[in-house]
Amino acid sequence: MSDVLASLRHLLPSERVLTEPSDLEHYGRDWTRQYPPAPLAVALPESVEEVQALVRWAVEQNVALVPSGGRTGLSGGAVAMHGEVVVSMQRMHRILDFDPIDRTLTVEAGVITETLQQAAREKGLYYPVDFGSRGSSQIGGNIATNAGGIKVIRYGLTRDWLAGVKVVTGTGEVLECNRGLVKNATGYDLRHLFAGSEGTLGLIVEATMRLTDPPRAPQVMVMAVPDMDSLMQAFAMFRARLPLTAFEFFTDKALAHVLAHGGKRPFDSEAPYYVLVEYETPDEATSEAALAAFEHGAEQGWLIDGVMAQSETQAAELWHLREGITESLASRTPYKNDVSVRVSRVPAFLADMQALFAREYPDFEVVWYGHIGDGNLHISVLRPEAMAMQDFVTECGRVTGMLCEVLQRHGGSISAEHGVGLLKKPYLDTIRTPAEIELMRQMKRVFDPHGILNPGKLFDS
Amino acid sequence: MKILVGYKRVVDYNVRVQVKPDGSGVATDGVKLSANPFDDIALEEALRLREKGVAEEVVIVGIGPADLTAHLRNGLAMGANRAIHVTTDGAPQPLTAARTFLKLIEKESPDLVILGKQAIDDDANQTGQMLAALWGRPQATFASELAIADGKATVTREVDAGLETIEAELPAVITTDLRLNEPRFIKLPDIMKAKSKPIDVIEFDSLGVDSGDHLKTANYAPPPKRSKGEMVEDAAGLVAALKQKGLL
Repeated sequence: MSDVLASLRHLLPSERVLTEPSDLEHYGRDWTRQYPPAPLAVALPESVEEVQALVRWAVEQNVALVPSGGRTGLSGGAVAMHGEVVVSMQRMHRILDFDPIDRTLTVEAGVITETLQQAAREKGLYYPVDFGSRGSSQIGGNIATNAGGIKVIRYGLTRDWLAGVKVVTGTGEVLECNRGLVKNATGYDLRHLFAGSEGTLGLIVEATMRLTDPPRAPQVMVMAVPDMDSLMQAFAMFRARLPLTAFEFFTDKALAHVLAHGGKRPFDSEAPYYVLVEYETPDEATSEAALAAFEHGAEQGWLIDGVMAQSETQAAELWHLREGITESLASRTPYKNDVSVRVSRVPAFLADMQALFAREYPDFEVVWYGHIGDGNLHISVLRPEAMAMQDFVTECGRVTGMLCEVLQRHGGSISAEHGVGLLKKPYLDTIRTPAEIELMRQMKRVFDPHGILNPGKLFDS
Repeated sequence: MKILVGYKRVVDYNVRVQVKPDGSGVATDGVKLSANPFDDIALEEALRLREKGVAEEVVIVGIGPADLTAHLRNGLAMGANRAIHVTTDGAPQPLTAARTFLKLIEKESPDLVILGKQAIDDDANQTGQMLAALWGRPQATFASELAIADGKATVTREVDAGLETIEAELPAVITTDLRLNEPRFIKLPDIMKAKSKPIDVIEFDSLGVDSGDHLKTANYAPPPKRSKGEMVEDAAGLVAALKQKGLL
């Protein structure tokens, strides 16, 4: 093993090959906590050429590589637990080009999401993919997981903003996919293979991201909702009447955790569900329409109470009620499900899901919230203090298997936006057919014939 | 008891302000405007006094152009009983604002005037003090705690040496500090209700206020840009660079 390390050190300057136990632990895991990290080393390349050299070296030495961005993933996709070399993109963080006519930013893979958003803003434009981990996650990881988040209802997923991507495949070859073109009807669009590839097809080294106009005077409301039917009715109404940029919901349990962690209670009324609505207010008429919508919802009994932000500070405080959920639960290391169904199937699915949890998780606290406008629910199951972690994970795994059956019945997915990684791998075959999985395996072999790129993630090859 | 509250509209605290290219001021076109945070605290405190039964009426005051109405409606939605809108296209400086308040005090005879300690646009921190002097009444500035009893206000103030507690006989002027309270969110049903609350519109010129706007703005300039960091080779290079800048 020391020969392998020695040859790696030959490849990169010594300060960019890390082997300290604390570094191995830090770079060897993501936001999941149940996989003990055990990489061989961490490599910090600074250029495409160095990434190529790393891949060629890995083929030669038969060492697996785990591409690594901000490691904010929730499915174990960036975990290294079997002596792999973690390839961290954190030193590849340059913004390479801005094109005002194409309205694109070309960046290295290690650029942090928030940095990209900020860079767009400085140009008077907007990069709309946004989520809680914006301050740590990197654009390469966003692409590798086809990240979604809180603005999908309006702006779609990372894939929809990907104008071009440069990757190093498992043979060390560099591919420049699509090169920023709007139209390019020349066969298979390989760019989209890399969106959601979870590091199994190639190392993403650069990306050209499309930008758009910033939202016009976004306004935020938080409202209390008496039941799920009312929530769906309110959703339909707001979507019909307002230019929505977000429609997020959370339960009373979720709110209680955020309030216990310093969140500010929006109003005294209590309800089982809460919804955060963000919309543009390009003119006075839209502001009026929002109030009228609330009034109508209140008359119909869909909405019990509500507040509206009067300043950016208050808007941030209201957003924190939704975005602070993950953090408020973090110390409990919850078991997470991230499921989706078609929006039209949400009520029927939820009824079945709640029945399942009531039956199978009688003693566990289950906190759920999510992007109702995308048909996407996040479910965090909290471990009772007295229960051992391993028993807890086993039990949640068992119920997740049953959740998959419910999802199958409703035509849904076991991973809406977190990816498959290690955590959802056992359930992939409940959502994708054997034929599909076999095709994916064959595709991986084409891009990564030596099987060195993030092996064991997504599926076993 | 009646409480008069100053309720100014400023560029939102979270907006990164841009200086106009000609240096004549700060760009406000298309920029998010919100209540001055200290004024929100002033209004919140007045509302809490009313909710405790100490006060009966809370009146907010805004001085500004016609489109200030929407801003005053927010204050009414937050809970003020009524609003007074002194209309002017200008942006009165602290002395003019204080004189305007004095005129309104003569009309309204409030028992308490609560103002923000400063507005975050000009950061003058003068209006409350000037008003107390013109009115000939006590002032308690930078309040972080307020209690009213027996015709007196007991005010805890944040001062350099710690906390100072003073008593002021009412009527008095109190200005708010950040830690006095945390303003509530505005409830949507209250936004509807606020539409029928009264706003008295008074032309600034009809008040007969002597302008105190004696300050002339010479020029606005953004702060100098931070220069980029320099990489040095080693510790010796660092020492040399610091010496060169006269820092060692």
